[in-house]
Amino acid sequence: MSVGGSGGGAKGGYPPQTIIALGIIGGLAGIYLGHFMPAAYSFFGGIGAICATVWGADAVRRVASYGLGTGVPSIGMLALGMGTVAALFGLSVGSFAGPIVAFIVAVIIGIVIGALSNRVIGMGIPIMEQAMAEIAGAGTLVILGLSVVIAGSFDYSTVVHNVVATGYIALIFIIGGMGILHPFNASLGPDEHQDRTLVLAVEKGAIALIIVGFVSSLNEGLMAAGVNILIGIIIWYVAFMKHYALIKRDAYQVVGTGLLPSAEELQ
Amino acid sequence: MIEGIMANILWLVFITLGGALISWGVHFIPVGGAPAAMAQATGVGTGTVQLAAGAGLTGLVSAGFMMNVTENLPLILASGAVGAMIMISVTMIVATWVYVYGVGCVPSSAKVKTDPITKYRQDIYVSQGTEGHGIPTVSFVSGVIGAALGGIGGGLVYYSLIEVGMSIGLTAGVTPDVVGNSLVGVAAMFAIGIFMVNAVIPSYNIGGTIEGFHDPKWKKWPKAVISSLIASLLCAIVAVIAILQLGGI
Repeated sequence: MSVGGSGGGAKGGYPPQTIIALGIIGGLAGIYLGHFMPAAYSFFGGIGAICATVWGADAVRRVASYGLGTGVPSIGMLALGMGTVAALFGLSVGSFAGPIVAFIVAVIIGIVIGALSNRVIGMGIPIMEQAMAEIAGAGTLVILGLSVVIAGSFDYSTVVHNVVATGYIALIFIIGGMGILHPFNASLGPDEHQDRTLVLAVEKGAIALIIVGFVSSLNEGLMAAGVNILIGIIIWYVAFMKHYALIKRDAYQVVGTGLLPSAEELQ
Repeated sequence: MIEGIMANILWLVFITLGGALISWGVHFIPVGGAPAAMAQATGVGTGTVQLAAGAGLTGLVSAGFMMNVTENLPLILASGAVGAMIMISVTMIVATWVYVYGVGCVPSSAKVKTDPITKYRQDIYVSQGTEGHGIPTVSFVSGVIGAALGGIGGGLVYYSLIEVGMSIGLTAGVTPDVVGNSLVGVAAMFAIGIFMVNAVIPSYNIGGTIEGFHDPKWKKWPKAVISSLIASLLCAIVAVIAILQLGGI
């Protein structure tokens, strides 16, 4: 468990507004495209989830840079905890406006929990309310996006029958949370750069898309599942190579150590 | 929507109380975080959320298991509490084996001079430069109490959500169908969501590490419990409405 950053705000890279816009617009557009297009295009939900994952990881990066006092993973779990509650509520009352209702409810829950953390518990992080709202909203969009990939739709009864009752929601909970919490948790430190952290978030989102792609074969047939998995693998490969290139850029030196010496060589 | 909430006001109160119990219970669990993983602080070497969620979710499962055979609330809560207590005890005893036989340090607390339960001296066994190590008796007992509270809280949340669903005619019985049961799925997921929120709020309150009820940080619990009451109430309203909507599909 790491305690996060050095006690100041995160610096450098794209401004928060750009990432927020990417997360909200990309996330919602992906979810709606995945819902209204035929089943073979449900990968749009996954692309929406990737946008939201990037946004969530950036919000975690900004808030955890102040030092949470506890591990970065806690905030990812909180994001998906708030996200699950808001997502299921939004779909249950909103019908076609479901994702938007879910998003608004998540932002409200996030602001309340952020205000409680700052005012009652006294964490003293200036951006806590905003960051909590962002993280809750991103968590909700990740859950909705991945649910759309599995179910092919965000209709409440379809999602309940194909995603929640079957238990795949637990899978979404963990892989979605991993995408939000892992990038900053893995990259934090004095040499942390925003682009490297966010590319890692894209890579994690793509892994989530591959995994839910397998599950989607249950409801959408092998063709749609194959498309989901293929798109996931392509995005993963591009993001992974980009991440590796950024690691080489940021590292002081990359050297090969060769294979472990054999027993004879050690003697 | 408003009538639905008014009709289920008792279950709303139970869910809120369950959330507050989880939040209070987390304060008892000896969490050492990364320092404990290197045997440099007392407690189990992982974060609050992981420990509380591990114990609490086991409690939720054992409470749900008991609901297969009885409708009796005290029995269900007892089952949840015992499940969580077993889980945390196993975690702590195995961690103690690792600390004692693997790392080779004496379980000792740096926060008190003598163990409040066994009255054994602590300070002379604390290695220099560390905040204690291992899980002394008082922390073990405290962890078991915390897990019991978490298990009762988690069970209470889950039971209340299932009762809300039953009140509109849904069933929570075992089905032979592989696709499972909608009410059980939705209620379990809301219970997990509420559990996670209430496990993270106290972890921010204690700021990473705590040894148990003898730790000075433990006295900060009212702040986290008040926050959890408000957050749980908000989540409970949302959860009850979503479960009531299940009746229409």
